[in-house]
Amino acid sequence: MINFLSIPLIHIIVALVAILAFIGLNGVVLVYMERKVAGFIQRRPGPYEVGPQGLLQPVADALKLLGKQLTSPMGADKILFWSAPIISFAPVVVCFLPIPFGPSPNSTGMELNLGLLLVLAFSGINVFALCMTGWGSNNKYSLLGAARAVSQSVAYEIPLLLAVLSIAFQTGSLNLSEIVQSQQGVIHWHIFMQPLAFIIYFISATAETNRAPFDLPEAESELTAGFHTEYSGMTFGLFFLAEYAYMIVVCSVATALFLGGWDGPFFDGFWWFLFKVYALMLVLMWFRWTYPRVRFDQLLNICWKWLIPLSVLNLILTAFFIKLVH
Amino acid sequence: MENITEYLNSGVEYLKYPVFGIYLMLIIVGGLTAVLSKNLIRALIGLILTLFGVAGMYFLMSAPFIALMQILIYVGAVTVLIFFSIMLTRAPDGDAGMETDGKKLNKQIILALISGLAPAFILGIIIFQKMPDALPLKPETSITILGGLLVGPYSLAFELISVVLFTAMAGAVLLGFERRDKK
Repeated sequence: MINFLSIPLIHIIVALVAILAFIGLNGVVLVYMERKVAGFIQRRPGPYEVGPQGLLQPVADALKLLGKQLTSPMGADKILFWSAPIISFAPVVVCFLPIPFGPSPNSTGMELNLGLLLVLAFSGINVFALCMTGWGSNNKYSLLGAARAVSQSVAYEIPLLLAVLSIAFQTGSLNLSEIVQSQQGVIHWHIFMQPLAFIIYFISATAETNRAPFDLPEAESELTAGFHTEYSGMTFGLFFLAEYAYMIVVCSVATALFLGGWDGPFFDGFWWFLFKVYALMLVLMWFRWTYPRVRFDQLLNICWKWLIPLSVLNLILTAFFIKLVH
Repeated sequence: MENITEYLNSGVEYLKYPVFGIYLMLIIVGGLTAVLSKNLIRALIGLILTLFGVAGMYFLMSAPFIALMQILIYVGAVTVLIFFSIMLTRAPDGDAGMETDGKKLNKQIILALISGLAPAFILGIIIFQKMPDALPLKPETSITILGGLLVGPYSLAFELISVVLFTAMAGAVLLGFERRDKK
């Protein structure tokens, strides 16, 4: 019996299929989770009618989206309008490749020395897709949403990169598997050594994924639905799926960088990784239903007056201590 | 069974030719769209396609760091800023982003063709007369070495680039303040 997974080509194909299945399944689970969490936080039962405890609600949602007609507004730039959802969704599949889900080499899609950089580079393409929707929809709400998305993500990418850089300084590697391996044992998790970097990373990641309280690009009380106002049916579904997939990516990267990845107090394995990712997702949902949406000037002030100076300070301190230790 | 493994592994090697072709197509089609499209946004999409193709070429030349930096900086940041500036300068009648076309254009096309084809022609002649051997592909350089090179032998170039960037940024801030004072 030969190990087919050790052949690079087969490994990548299997990984891509697995990732797509994982994203689809996550979409279903997370929609249910989000609606239930929202319900419980607001003291109502959440979805309840379809299936036991409303378990089949996301399936009904998905079927509804699939059955809807796809329309494009008059005067829209057709090429931009139809390719934007695909450009939003496609890069996220690549982002999952270097993430180490477990200790065995088969649980990483593609072992890359620059895995962290790959995730950062490909997740940046999403902004571009939002720009395309804004311009292509021929709708002022979409355009405003896209303009907000750009200024927001350009601003928050800086503290995010600087926070990640301090971890890269400390471990001397951009390979996510190596970073996880460098923090075996709970006390060695980077969150204890770099709490500030973790907080900065998590706030910036919330803003980068356009989650409330930073959901200005799709602020429904001001912009109807923001950049995806004109999208119906599965084109809207793709944006939705991409957004949830990006949330999973940022939580996975946070887990790998700060929370020890698949390392746990006992029984190391992929279950710890998934447990941590889902715990972080719950925190994101908790944020969403706790804080009101920030105003745009507040959003930029948080970034430029707090996060960027703090992350630069954190980086300098990290460099100083590394020099001291060596 | 062992033969199958070998066969598949060598298959990966042969993938480089079609992949090279795809990247080449991306670069050429993107470049033509960027130049020929009347709609500024579509021209920008062409530019992005070209940048993507170039990033893919870096990957093929086993320089993944530069490839990823190309995507991170050019596709993720620079083109988004260009997009933003096009959106901000959109005229109220809605067809900004369109190039003005007129009879002047023919002359421009001829000039552009001359300035584009002349260097290509000269370089082509040189290359075909003295065909160099294909350079052996070097193994991937690790970022530790790259970083050492940047602050070691190439520190002057590195610093000069940062000075240029700083000047541009300071200039932008200065212009912003001037505009604000006038109000």
